[in-house]
Amino acid sequence: MPENFLNLNYWYFITFIYLFVGFLLSRGVIGSVTRVMSIIGWPIELAQRLSGTKSLPYLFLFPNILIFGLFTFLPLFMNFGFSVTDGESINFSSRDYSGSDNLSRIILEKQIDTGLENMEDDKFKAAIADTFVFVLFQVPIMIVIALITAIILNREIIGRAFWRAVYFYPVMLSPVVVAFLWTLILKRQGLLSQMLMGWNWIDEPIQWLTDPSWTMFWSVLIYTWANLGFYMLILLAGLQSIPRDLYEAAEMDGTSDQRVFWRITLPLLMPILLVVTVLSLIKAFQAFEELFALQVGWISLVSYIFETAGLRGQKTTFGLGIAAMASLLVASLLILLSLLQFYLTRRQVKL
Amino acid sequence: MKKIFAIFLLITSTSFAVISAELKFVCYQDINECDTIAELAKSWESSTGHTLNIETVGYEVIREQLENQLESGAAPDLARVTNLGGLNKFYLDLKPYVDSSYWETNYGATLPWYRKPSGDDGIYGWQTQLTVTGPYVNVTMFEDAGVDMPEEGATWDDWADALREVKSELGLTAGLALDRTAHRWAGPAFSYGAKFHENGVPILVDEGFRKFSEVFVGWHEEGLMPAEGWPAGAGTSYKNAAPLFLDGTVAMHMSGSWMLGNYDTNITDFEWKVVPIPCGPGGCGAMPGGSGIVAFNSTANPEAAASFINFMAQTENAEKFAASTSNITAHQGLQKSGIDYAGVSPNVAQGLAIFAANAGKAADTTPQAYWFQGYNKNFAIYGIVPDYITKAITGEMSLEEALAAIDADVAAKIAE
Repeated sequence: MPENFLNLNYWYFITFIYLFVGFLLSRGVIGSVTRVMSIIGWPIELAQRLSGTKSLPYLFLFPNILIFGLFTFLPLFMNFGFSVTDGESINFSSRDYSGSDNLSRIILEKQIDTGLENMEDDKFKAAIADTFVFVLFQVPIMIVIALITAIILNREIIGRAFWRAVYFYPVMLSPVVVAFLWTLILKRQGLLSQMLMGWNWIDEPIQWLTDPSWTMFWSVLIYTWANLGFYMLILLAGLQSIPRDLYEAAEMDGTSDQRVFWRITLPLLMPILLVVTVLSLIKAFQAFEELFALQVGWISLVSYIFETAGLRGQKTTFGLGIAAMASLLVASLLILLSLLQFYLTRRQVKL
Repeated sequence: MKKIFAIFLLITSTSFAVISAELKFVCYQDINECDTIAELAKSWESSTGHTLNIETVGYEVIREQLENQLESGAAPDLARVTNLGGLNKFYLDLKPYVDSSYWETNYGATLPWYRKPSGDDGIYGWQTQLTVTGPYVNVTMFEDAGVDMPEEGATWDDWADALREVKSELGLTAGLALDRTAHRWAGPAFSYGAKFHENGVPILVDEGFRKFSEVFVGWHEEGLMPAEGWPAGAGTSYKNAAPLFLDGTVAMHMSGSWMLGNYDTNITDFEWKVVPIPCGPGGCGAMPGGSGIVAFNSTANPEAAASFINFMAQTENAEKFAASTSNITAHQGLQKSGIDYAGVSPNVAQGLAIFAANAGKAADTTPQAYWFQGYNKNFAIYGIVPDYITKAITGEMSLEEALAAIDADVAAKIAE
């Protein structure tokens, strides 16, 4: 009777039964307020009596673990399953076990099923190479700009709160909105081309997003613009945690601003800077939504996985397995990066 | 205790099992197909007592999510689909519920598209419309440029010459645009002699295919085709070139009959018309196709679902559907007797006639088009061809490498 769940009468009935059981179980309790609390909270008291107070915290954690497990660990195991099986279906009962075949399909030069040249490895390697170039440029540029911005916004300037909001604002926009805004500027009839033609800098509109020489530049710029505020905020918090007396002592000693930055600010900011760097590295490798919505001219790693898995609607026989294996390879790379972060942040900075 | 039991009975009295079925139908529309079906279904609902719940969604939902829903058991009862061959393992066979002879007589040409590759003779779905690919031209641009449009039977080269003239006279960005999918590419490729298969085994790159690839890449290099078309997509992504035609970037759009209603409504600032499909050494190639309404074998109400599809397939309903949605019907009896597209603009009526003629020409001169439409893995090929041809256009690969890559990738994707 699943329709009953939508029926309000059903819920009145359940509440009645619940309170009635509470009433029966709390017959020994003295005091009206205590009695009412017992009637409402009888499952917790029952659990306490059965398992003891020590295991009660686990009982409270249980719903969270259940949901977390369902949406985090279950897909992880399913992904493992997809990467070692073949078949078009997402249903495991229709998939055949195939061992490391998917790994061969994505790495080897010769396609194992047809004997012809393998195109998947070229596509995968191209995706890795392009994403690597993207990350190599995007992360340092973003960190430097975020650091400079954070330092400026840490000072007493007019309208400081306003400027902080301005820099953080793009972070709050959804990736599709970001892409839509920038497409209005960068498309053929968009603002940028029209402006440059109006100034007679160019004769014909440039296809900024798909022209091979410009597409990476704009991808990096737009992605940086959209994510800068978040890391700037973290660095700002880091800057504010540096003790004031160090700066006062430096001022009393007549230290130049440059030296203050390189000898006091930067070393003390180092742990947070490292955290921010590794976080943004991991995030940049997974860049997808903005790039997909912008329809840029290059294929990023997640875009490659997305397309190969048939999520664009073109399912192929081995696509899902290949995509799952590719995502496992990328995941191992990201795990290495995370381990690097753990190692680096364990080193304490000596004052 | 007794009071409580009585209250319990009172509160939990539920409605008992209903005899009439409630069907969920996931539909997409190019212009008004789902609304038309809703209208027509009212008389079916009143005569059978069943209910049809139509959920109108975007085409991407059907293309991307339906298959996953089917595999995980969360599928609707009915859907309007375009990947006719690709989903055939999920279809409900309607043969036990319908009159096979009526279906074979009137829909015999399109029934094979739904069947499994070998030895299947089931009846799986009603072809809602027969779509045909073919070009639309901007008549105003040709008149302004003072260029005559090539006649029927002209080749793609003749049209390319005419478009070059129009482009240079008017200073257009480009002359011709194709949607970024091998489904539109196939028509011209057939005209240049591409065979696409040998006894049912796909062979992509033959002489005709190679010839057309060279011509196509050449058109991009000289600027006859726009950079926002095929080169603007990455990988296998589909791009509809209709916006380029609508805003005057190009003078000719290689698309298909499903755009008739859309263009009729949305084009207000220039004259346009449909022209006969250009020809070539291989024939006059156009791709037939269309969407169909199918029932899935996971449905809880197979009889009701089959009864609805049979209802829609009846002559009078097929005629009303085709007339209201300005589509070519797949009902062979109606194709011969003709449909009165009353109230339709002259452009659309003329367009429908030309597209229907295109289908006939393709059946006679390039029958591989019908094979390709029915091939159950064609959706993979639709994406692979643009992927590598784009790379050849942008210079990332040489054309030879791109063609070899197409062969290798297609072989890999269709391998079992």
